[in-house]
Amino acid sequence: MHIAHPVKLLVEDDLRRNRLTVFFRLILAIPHFIFIFLWTIAVVFAAIVNWVATLVQGQPPAGLHRFMCAYVRYQAHLSAYLWLVGNPYPGFVGEEGEYPIDVRLPGPTQQPRWTTFFRIFLAIPALLLATALGGTANVRVPSSGKSGTYGSGGGGGALGFAVAVLGWFASLAQGRMPKGLRDAGAYSIGYSAQMLAYLLLVTDRYPNADPTAMLEGVERPPQHPVHLVGDADDLRFSRVTVLFRLPLVIPHVVWLALWTVVALLAAIATWFATLFTGTPPAGLHRFLSRYVRYWLHVNAFLYLAANPFPGFTGELGRYPLDLELPAPAIQNRWKTGFRIFLAIPAAIVNGALSWGLGVAAFLTWFVALATGAAPWGLRNFSAYALRYGSQLFAYVFLITEAYPHASPLEGAPPAQPQFDEPA
Amino acid sequence: MLALGTAGWATAALLLWQSSVVPSLRLPHLDEHRYFSASLLRATASYGRFSFVDWVLTTLVQLAVLAVYARKGAQFARESAAGRLGTGMLLGMIGFALVWAAQVPFDVADLWWQRRHHLTHLGYFTQIFGNWLALGGQFVFLCVALAIVMGLARKLPRLWWAAAAPVFIGLALLFAFVSPYLLSKHRLHDPQLQAASVRLERIEGVRHVPVVVEDVHDITSLPNAEATGLGPSRRVVLWDTLVRDFTPREVTVVIAHELGHLAHDHIWKDIGWYALFAFPGTLLIARATRRRGGMARPEAVPLSLFVLVALSLLALPAQNAISRHMEAEADWASLEATHDPVGATALFRRFVPTTLSEPNPSSFEYALLENHPTIMQRIAMAKAWRSYAASEAQSP
Repeated sequence: MHIAHPVKLLVEDDLRRNRLTVFFRLILAIPHFIFIFLWTIAVVFAAIVNWVATLVQGQPPAGLHRFMCAYVRYQAHLSAYLWLVGNPYPGFVGEEGEYPIDVRLPGPTQQPRWTTFFRIFLAIPALLLATALGGTANVRVPSSGKSGTYGSGGGGGALGFAVAVLGWFASLAQGRMPKGLRDAGAYSIGYSAQMLAYLLLVTDRYPNADPTAMLEGVERPPQHPVHLVGDADDLRFSRVTVLFRLPLVIPHVVWLALWTVVALLAAIATWFATLFTGTPPAGLHRFLSRYVRYWLHVNAFLYLAANPFPGFTGELGRYPLDLELPAPAIQNRWKTGFRIFLAIPAAIVNGALSWGLGVAAFLTWFVALATGAAPWGLRNFSAYALRYGSQLFAYVFLITEAYPHASPLEGAPPAQPQFDEPA
Repeated sequence: MLALGTAGWATAALLLWQSSVVPSLRLPHLDEHRYFSASLLRATASYGRFSFVDWVLTTLVQLAVLAVYARKGAQFARESAAGRLGTGMLLGMIGFALVWAAQVPFDVADLWWQRRHHLTHLGYFTQIFGNWLALGGQFVFLCVALAIVMGLARKLPRLWWAAAAPVFIGLALLFAFVSPYLLSKHRLHDPQLQAASVRLERIEGVRHVPVVVEDVHDITSLPNAEATGLGPSRRVVLWDTLVRDFTPREVTVVIAHELGHLAHDHIWKDIGWYALFAFPGTLLIARATRRRGGMARPEAVPLSLFVLVALSLLALPAQNAISRHMEAEADWASLEATHDPVGATALFRRFVPTTLSEPNPSSFEYALLENHPTIMQRIAMAKAWRSYAASEAQSP
């Protein structure tokens, strides 16, 4: 079983957004930028003192621990506000329970001295992923005496940025934040909070990238017609195939490139046919479904989300990380006609997730090589990124008209109607 | 049937062995100390010794890795969800990748040795990771080859080898035709060499063969040249290090040598020899893998890799002998075309300090590594040609 992480993300947001504060969000946040800039400088010095004290005592002093907790929380609140993951204006002190996107942090506990000593190095992998996800407010503090030389004090990463930009337009238009984007933003904030808490010695538990564990308690979205199936618990990896993963995938890359050329032509034909008849032709739909499934298999292998060498045909049920795709159905002609433009926001999210996927694969490679197994959290994050990519492809190639859902949570299958047994 | 096949093979080999070098030509024995200083000979011997030991160790490690893989490799089949063909490809690629990884230390040692002697400017990182494209191409070719073999082995379990060999010969032909187009090169700019190449083309009866230059000075200082292509893709490729560092007279000898390869259809003969080795080679692989269920089964792939490499190693002395035979014919063609044994001798002498080739290597190295006649043999041929030309001139 997977033990719950002591840094817990709490999401009590109702998705409603005030259009006026959304429109002026960056300007409204200016006081916070100044405040977090000063706070970050203080935290840098406090962190050094805290590090020495923890090395000596074996656990962080209570006062410094409280200070760090408040900083981690404040980062989360401010990030949530900036990325439109939360609506209200946040407070300045990082108080617990004051914001709908909050983090619950543990009290000071004993920490192994050797992990404390090497904490800054141990945190680098998590920092890399957090930078790709970008859940912390992007603060820059002077790192040297020369003017104009700065070091980054937080990650303004791809996913957080994509969520913020797309969420801004959506919130202005609808007065609501799309749930998928909100969940994705909340997830990146949660991971960054865990990373920061680890770095600042609030906890000695390493950040967990598992989206399901991070968003525990958040309502699952309805199941997308394009969803993953397979054995979620199989984390075993062959070290040899991990070591040679890049050269081993070359034939698949060549085959995928050739298949992509044909798939693009098939997609154009499908587009015309769907515009005229309202339904994609069954043969082309089947062909494109296989292509999208094959794309998933190859990328799951390449990015170390799955272990075995995939087949070349994109057949259903042949790979541990597989894709369920819908049958051809009637599609709205307007959505079909403008499909390529409608897909742009999803492509932006996919681009952001691809960055995280690359980082996750890079980190998984080392872990899998050393232990013969993939880390649960990273594997699940990779599965999330690949699921989203598959949904985007399925949408672009007219396999479904369901828009990709950005929520890191797996969709809940539709509830089965309950029938009472007749007496 | 076997006797018929052997007779056919021998006849074909005899036809391919035909050479335009005068049959009665006897090469004089030359003392290398008369041509090269003692210190240079010591340097080449030292350089050659290390390179040879490195090669022997590489080969032994390669065989050892493949032997272990032949025994244990089949277990990797469980890491595949790719069906029969895909699993075969995976097993082939893993074997190939293991061999590549095992060779890396020896490649690095060889590079260190070459750098130490200022023969290359290549960095260690580039040596190991810079050839990903070429390595990727080899992986793709391996997969295609295994797909062909396994596909045929399923349809023709006992006779797949007879069908596979022609397919591989076809691929070799295709590669020989296409490869000149894949090179990045530019035209020869030197007007003197341009005029010489046009003249030599006419003399050797090889028309419309572009002589081009490939830029390699960034990675090596070694001189080299090659004749490539078939029909319209025929080219003579000179490395820019050769054009830059050697005199026009010496480069002219090289151009004549390469045109000699084309004039005597050596690329075609090369493919002919490949065909002669392909049939028995595939037959032996088919026999060896029968105990593993035959080449239709992915479990046989690791063993087939071992057999293939072992057979290639066994065939190496014969292949080198064939190559040397053709190179000698090209040298002779060059002398016949240029009538310049002095230029040829000067060229061969310069090869020694620039490449640190041993003028007279040991028999073992000669059999296993030398695919050209030795420097002393080449100088001796120039000398022999001079005597032959003189006697021809005197005869009525």
